[in-house]
Amino acid sequence: MIEPVPTVLVVDDSPTVRKIVQMTLQRERIRVITAGDGLSALTSVADEVPALILLDIQLPRMDGYHICQIIRKNLQFRTIPIIMLSGKDGLFDKMRGRLAGSTEYLTKPFDSVELVQTVKKHLVGWQQRMPPQHEGIRTRLRRRG
Amino acid sequence: MESQDRIMDGDLQTLGLQSVLKMLALSGKTGTLFVHSGPETLSICMRKGQIVALHEEGFNKSDLLGMLCLINKLDPPRAQVVREASQGNLQVALAILVERNWMSAEEMQRRLEFAVTQSISHALRWVNGRFAFHRQLVTMESRMQPLDIDSVLLEALRQADEWEEMEETQLTRTTVARWLPEVSNDVRSLGLSQEHIEVLCLANGEVPLQGMAMVLMIPEARVARIMNRLLDLRLIEVVDTALEAELQQDLSNIIIMCQHTLAQQRQNLAPEQHLLGLIKTLSRCINGLLIHHGTYAKSLRGRGQLPVVEIVRYLERRFSQPLQSIAKLHYPILETATFTNGQLDCTEIVQLDKLVKGEKLEEFYWEAVLGLATFLRIVFATLLSDEVGNSHTGRQLNYVWKAFLTEIDQEIQQYQLYRAHQNAQQTRRRDSEAAFQSGPGRSGVSQSEGNPYRSSETQRRSI
Repeated sequence: MIEPVPTVLVVDDSPTVRKIVQMTLQRERIRVITAGDGLSALTSVADEVPALILLDIQLPRMDGYHICQIIRKNLQFRTIPIIMLSGKDGLFDKMRGRLAGSTEYLTKPFDSVELVQTVKKHLVGWQQRMPPQHEGIRTRLRRRG
Repeated sequence: MESQDRIMDGDLQTLGLQSVLKMLALSGKTGTLFVHSGPETLSICMRKGQIVALHEEGFNKSDLLGMLCLINKLDPPRAQVVREASQGNLQVALAILVERNWMSAEEMQRRLEFAVTQSISHALRWVNGRFAFHRQLVTMESRMQPLDIDSVLLEALRQADEWEEMEETQLTRTTVARWLPEVSNDVRSLGLSQEHIEVLCLANGEVPLQGMAMVLMIPEARVARIMNRLLDLRLIEVVDTALEAELQQDLSNIIIMCQHTLAQQRQNLAPEQHLLGLIKTLSRCINGLLIHHGTYAKSLRGRGQLPVVEIVRYLERRFSQPLQSIAKLHYPILETATFTNGQLDCTEIVQLDKLVKGEKLEEFYWEAVLGLATFLRIVFATLLSDEVGNSHTGRQLNYVWKAFLTEIDQEIQQYQLYRAHQNAQQTRRRDSEAAFQSGPGRSGVSQSEGNPYRSSETQRRSI
């Protein structure tokens, strides 16, 4: 039997970062979906209910802190681990990320091994965090036929 | 499983798998035999001394449906339907194929029998390991008709002997091969047999030798022989998956670093600084790739610790010629860039601000950006083709690389737009000045003639 694979949402305005993260995580048998801006990210969260979100801070239309706050306020999605990805290494930004509700903070340029380790650490027990009612809109529609 | 259910266990060195199986068959036992060796485990379910199911663990199994598509025995859309319905269970997948008349029941039985024989044949070659027989029959889904141990053993031993008879080979059942990208000859002229052609079709850099044997129902040892022949003919090469993973990791880190530098230099608002930032980013990226290639180039890797001089010589031999031709044909500014210790030295370009100022400096910087961007593409294409060729990893890296090049191109376009805007403004300003100074009688004079602000070179470069 094939084990169910976790889905990770990567939100970054750089196509290079999105593709590198996608390639790196897919090698680890993790399904990856991507979004290039804040609003698309929120749509993807609602549609797919990812097991983890990798979120850049500087994004067009809505910044990462704001997206993080919106997700944390939503009862259905609040348990999803959010790893902030940013070029900013300052303590202030890390604190701001924590206050917005991020689970961890990765500084760019990140090492791909470090990225995989961090993602895997937060994916432990992802299936338990995804009760049946946490089905995405798309899955529910598919089920309805 | 409870220990009281275990009715027999031991060491494979003391009692070989062949004897254990024979004993269980003769006594008509029902239960499960577990055989371990290193990370690999074989579970053989037996009922009344016959094999009813077998499960192998410890290595990545190949996608049989995908492989059937590769040898044109199944359509990809059908394979997708079966894949979704079977959820990765081989037994279920085969049953669905039979149910839908996409495979005959006889073929399914033959395939399942072949898979059992292959696994036992592989386990027969284990020298170290342990076995244990449990009374309980582990529930394993199986559509296979019970197999007689004697006939399975006979064929498995014959296949194991084939491996032993083979001369020294580096191939194992997990070896993955791929076509050599340089192959340009018509392979039909090489007089290959159907089996050779089928193995060649499956050598896509993803299917292991064991998977090829499984789908073609050819013993692994024979597939290994065919692969050796294809290697001799230089039609395929062996893929080192661990090395490719390491290589991909290293290149990913370089690209992430360069993307980060590129994003940081976007903050430079002054055009000269913006261009200088691009020059530094591009040269940093080129040097990162050169360092990488010094470690992973095909002719350098696997030779242990090499003297730095040899690596430097290799890199300069490989890349100085393309750099020179770019400089000669299109971007003369690159003549000032040199190779020092296997790295591209752009100090003279970076320090141009000490010699020239203003528009001329911007022009030189612009030419350097275009030249370095061209050279960067050449370096990446050369190293990728050398290191991984047209493999799965190669295609993935190319995909990422194109995304990064798009970001660089966007930066270049941004500057072009800025230049176009500047030129339009200058032209407008000059027009109004000319009209003001010359009066109505001189309005027909060409705008670029005798222009002190725009050199002919600038006009050529502007959009």
